Amino acid sequence: MALDRRDFLKLLAAGVGGFVVGTALGYAAKPSEVREVLREVTVTATTPVERKLPKATVRIGVLGIRSGLWATYGEFIEQGARMAAEEINARGGILGSRVELVFRDEQADVVKQARELVDVEGVDFIVGIDSSGNAMRVGGIVDELAKPLIVTHAATHRLTEELVYKQGKKLIFRTSVPVYQDGILAAYIAKDLPVRKWAGINGDYEFGRVSWQLFQETLKKLRPDVEFVAEQWPKFGTEDFRPFISALLASDAEALFTSIWAIELVTLQRQLVEMGGYRKFKAVISTLGYSMDVAYALGKDYPVAELGTWVSGRYIWLYPPTSINKEFVDRFKSRWGKLPAYSSETTYAAIYLIKAALEEAVTLDPDAVAKAMEGMLLLTPAGVRWIRPEDHQAVYEVPYGRIAHKGAEVPLLDDLKAVPAQMYYRHPPFT
Amino acid sequence: MIDLDTFLSQLVVGLFRGSLYWILAAGLTLIFGVTRILNFAHAAILVTGSYITYTIYVSTGSYVLAFLGAIIACGLLGAVTEVLLIRRVYGLDPLYQLLLTFGVTLVVNEAQKLVWGKGSVYVPTPEMLRGGVAVGAVTVSYYTVFVVIVGFLLLLALHYFINMTMMGLRLRAVWRDPVMSEVLGLNPKNYYTLVFFLGSAIAGLGGALLIPAITVGPGLGDHLIVLAFIVVVLAGLGNIVGSYITALAIGVTWSLLTLVTPELDIVILYLISALILMVRPQGLFGER
Repeated sequence: MALDRRDFLKLLAAGVGGFVVGTALGYAAKPSEVREVLREVTVTATTPVERKLPKATVRIGVLGIRSGLWATYGEFIEQGARMAAEEINARGGILGSRVELVFRDEQADVVKQARELVDVEGVDFIVGIDSSGNAMRVGGIVDELAKPLIVTHAATHRLTEELVYKQGKKLIFRTSVPVYQDGILAAYIAKDLPVRKWAGINGDYEFGRVSWQLFQETLKKLRPDVEFVAEQWPKFGTEDFRPFISALLASDAEALFTSIWAIELVTLQRQLVEMGGYRKFKAVISTLGYSMDVAYALGKDYPVAELGTWVSGRYIWLYPPTSINKEFVDRFKSRWGKLPAYSSETTYAAIYLIKAALEEAVTLDPDAVAKAMEGMLLLTPAGVRWIRPEDHQAVYEVPYGRIAHKGAEVPLLDDLKAVPAQMYYRHPPFT
Repeated sequence: MIDLDTFLSQLVVGLFRGSLYWILAAGLTLIFGVTRILNFAHAAILVTGSYITYTIYVSTGSYVLAFLGAIIACGLLGAVTEVLLIRRVYGLDPLYQLLLTFGVTLVVNEAQKLVWGKGSVYVPTPEMLRGGVAVGAVTVSYYTVFVVIVGFLLLLALHYFINMTMMGLRLRAVWRDPVMSEVLGLNPKNYYTLVFFLGSAIAGLGGALLIPAITVGPGLGDHLIVLAFIVVVLAGLGNIVGSYITALAIGVTWSLLTLVTPELDIVILYLISALILMVRPQGLFGER
């Protein structure tokens, strides 16, 4: 049957009318938490023409360490990005546009890789980056690249405090918690422990130095009676920590703080056990001790100090106990065979941040998209992330916990301690 | 003020580290001494030895099998590399040799990722070598001492093999004068393959000793090879006894510097190395 214009309009009017009545009825009948969703659907249905992106694909460049001893971190970033992209594409993409990912190794001259992602691959966004130094390098040229950059692991506070807040590089964002987690929150854990003398072993690079400095400053304020009696600075790529441990054990420290991470942390923990460190130190704080590579590698050998081996990460899979997080962990496990590493979650969240921003801005114009991200609230596996407008840092909380062996595939955590993010994050104007 | 206990524990830890450097450098300097090839892939082969130790240990639970497996497998890997690849660049500009062995390193590193994944692995310390002696607050583990002893035994064994056996004599002949030894009926090619087998087998031993002591991941060799080269060059290329002394000296110096100036330890170490090479470009003990 052929429709003439009049019939078509009639049908359309009936359809729209029915839709509105149905929606209104549904709206009245549904419980309150669903209403938000219904409202969005109504808006989408009435203005279909404008809500499309100018391209059929949204290309996202993903940078991570993909070679050498830390290659497993690039893999974590890739797993989170892939899972988010697969989910989004399975549900019709972002406003109908498919998400495509392009992976590059940040170890192979990160500035060159970032430029190629934009100039050759034509990406619309860059996400990822493990190393703080690399994040600062790409962050430094972000206005030239003219694409939003969402950092999902590198932790230097300078990225958001200096580049975004002070220098006004508005295209930079970060979905992972910065060094506040390692330096400041760790001090909140340390203040409650009945020990006074602390030693520190941290990497001889920006991240290691800043975490130890923030830890000392914060703990001294919270507990003026503490002393910092020894410190060691192994270089990046240290394969044997024995000389450093031996030197630390010569001090009269009662507890140990470390922000050493990844494979180096596995070695450090094993050598601490071997050399009697866990007899001497009553408490150990390991700021990235619950990174999944470390938890899986040490497994049942993960040492437990008398007053606890306190560990954290930039997301831990068993917190918060929400259905969103549980479903994410289950999906991740069935997709990749392992529990999600923190940078998988932070990258997963970054891809969804892009989706949310594009759906709001309905354009790929970088400034408009960045504007849409500012102040955004995003429901993610790690909880609600608020993209703080001043520094573009995602504000959310990650707890510390004590390593506990309960026969699971990785050690679990007891006594989870969370402090509201607003308390331990530094705030603008960062003085 | 540093007390005696602290000094002693730092010393033993330094000897341990030095012994690992020595085992790494031993194969490298042996191979260079005879074939004049600077084998950039040597540390990558050592790390493969660690991985093989891991695989055999996990599947059989036997350290002896794991150690032997690593030694033999790495020896064969070295020999096959020599026959298939290295043989083509003897006598060429060292640049070609470095490029080729660097290429082998990349292939081996990537192969490690494919076979063993990107994560880190280790094996526990053998049961009978767990525990240790308390030196002040530090426990010096039996395993640490074991590695130092194995390092010394390796020196004795190499010394005996090279200086007191017929095979060693022939090897020295090829080492000193390949042309003349060929005239005398020795085929240098066979000896080159043999020396690659031996040097890589020593790397396998190093890999096996390494994995209970530290944690192994793909590309670890890239971090180790730099120090191995420092040891070999400082000692004088091809000088085996010199490499042993230099490796231990570097291990101990580094360890003591960590105690005294933790901020500058490695800087001072490199500075000393540079000064030595300025005064004695042929190395502390001279080329052999």
